[in-house]
Amino acid sequence: MSGNLVFLAGLVTLAMIYATYTMILNFEAGWGGLWDLGSAGLIAVGAYTFAIFTAPQDGIVFAPQQSLIVGWLASIVVTAAVAYIIGKPALRLRGEYFLITTFAFSVMAIELITTESWLTAGSGGFRTITRPFDGYVGSREYNFFLCGLSIVAAFIVYLLLRRLGHSPFGRALRATRENEAAATSVGRNIPEMRLKAFVFAGALFGATAPLYIFYVRSLYPHMFGATLTFTLWTAMVIGGIGNLKGAFIGALLLIGATEATQFLQVSVEHANVLAAARPILIGVALLVVIRFRPHGLLPETLAFRQPRARALASCAQEQRTVTQ
Amino acid sequence: MQYIFFALITGSTLALAAVGFALVRQTEGFLNIAHGQFMLLGAFVAHTLATTYGLNLGLAIAITVPLIGLAGLATAWLVFFPLRDKGLLAQFFSSVGVAFIVYGIVSALWSGRAIKVFPITSDFSIAMPGFSATAIELGIVIGAWLAVLSLHLFLAHTRVGTSIRAIAGNAELARARGINVRLAIGSVWFVGTALAGLSGILIGLIGGVGIELGWHYILIILAVAVLGGLRTLYGVLIGGLLVGAVIELSTLVVPSKYGVLIAFGLIVVTLLVKPEGIVSVSKRKEASA
Repeated sequence: MSGNLVFLAGLVTLAMIYATYTMILNFEAGWGGLWDLGSAGLIAVGAYTFAIFTAPQDGIVFAPQQSLIVGWLASIVVTAAVAYIIGKPALRLRGEYFLITTFAFSVMAIELITTESWLTAGSGGFRTITRPFDGYVGSREYNFFLCGLSIVAAFIVYLLLRRLGHSPFGRALRATRENEAAATSVGRNIPEMRLKAFVFAGALFGATAPLYIFYVRSLYPHMFGATLTFTLWTAMVIGGIGNLKGAFIGALLLIGATEATQFLQVSVEHANVLAAARPILIGVALLVVIRFRPHGLLPETLAFRQPRARALASCAQEQRTVTQ
Repeated sequence: MQYIFFALITGSTLALAAVGFALVRQTEGFLNIAHGQFMLLGAFVAHTLATTYGLNLGLAIAITVPLIGLAGLATAWLVFFPLRDKGLLAQFFSSVGVAFIVYGIVSALWSGRAIKVFPITSDFSIAMPGFSATAIELGIVIGAWLAVLSLHLFLAHTRVGTSIRAIAGNAELARARGINVRLAIGSVWFVGTALAGLSGILIGLIGGVGIELGWHYILIILAVAVLGGLRTLYGVLIGGLLVGAVIELSTLVVPSKYGVLIAFGLIVVTLLVKPEGIVSVSKRKEASA
């Protein structure tokens, strides 16, 4: 029974981590219209920065063995800086060209991590990850702590992004996605806004990347393959591109469905088929949603409905005062 | 000399893989991520035919390639045709969905992550001082370019080929002129996916096939297609040879582990400096507004 509870805590932790990443992706891709296929690369940069700064790893040249807070801050700063380096040139490109460029950067980041083993331990990876408050509680209880931590992180990211989405910056960002010329004509500096959004998303990826390796408890380059990026995009498409709650729910549903296959008890020769069920499930979900609910489970609510309603109401008020 | 020959092998297979991808991209307008997984499927089907059923390698290829083409046609008919008016993003993500499904099916049917190596019986080879080539290596290069040549003849000299080029140029106009769009698009999917299957087999012949072949090669195909320019098939061929050359010849200068990294650096630079590709026809605007 308690084994099931631990499993459930793990499932919730993983789902929350994916939900967090999907919400960040929704911020840059759903609202900002930046088709970023490099999320996995940025998450990898964040995770590796954290691990390099904190892990007691022997055999790599640079191991400052700093405290977790320093590692966390370094992870934010380095990932944001990498996002700036990628975004500065790449944001000149549009649509699928931007998509290919970010994809290429992501692959290059993973390749560099694999080859530069003096810094990143290469494909051997980090087998120990320093985790907060590890050892204060039993390893079984730690799963529940991590679960709580991931829920809090997802909640904070949700509140932050919702606030940002309703702010003038968030509305302007969506305006640049809808109509560039119109947004420029009302005085918005579009390249600067896009770069800000991209770097901010990078910082958020950096801030939440350590959670992922706390959960996995090790760190290898192949954890950040194309599958991770595409899973995040799938979650966002299922939930509804441009809807923050949708991104959250889409990720929960997707991870819940794919990880639930682990509950099934099967013989060894069928375990292989079961493992294959996961990509098939993701693919079918994606196809069905795009075909029959092209805007996702929760379509984006109109960005300008609230301000517009307010404007209309005050307009009507004025008219009434005039006619009186 | 030997290195140039290796570059030619790699480049030929890459060009072949990318040309099918570019054909679909030109007529349908979206990047078909599932292309890599059809390469994987082709390699695995041919491998099974050649080992489990003990067929002659040439016969196995001759059976597999049209089969993969039909699979591509069926996929397009089931998934992509109904999405025609839903926009490029919908089609692009559907192709990601198809990629996941094909990948899942292949890993379910062919268990294990072991690399599968084709049985090669011929021991014929050419050996000169400083250069050697086995029959299979020569066969790969010749086969790849024969396929490319027949694609060229098909596009340039048949009625369907002409309509395909017309649709790629201007779909609205082609439709208005009464071109049979269904037939043309259908044959694009058949031919494009069959080429994916063939290139998967040829790549498998060099070093065997692993289950991750599809995800790995779709990245390189994107690189080749971008380098060659997304709007021209002949540019893609040059792009393929170039990327093959970069991956193989860079081993002379730097450790071989950096080959892929350099190839991707090349794409990034191409995109940033000349987003329309090395052989451009027009439309710089499309990439950077």
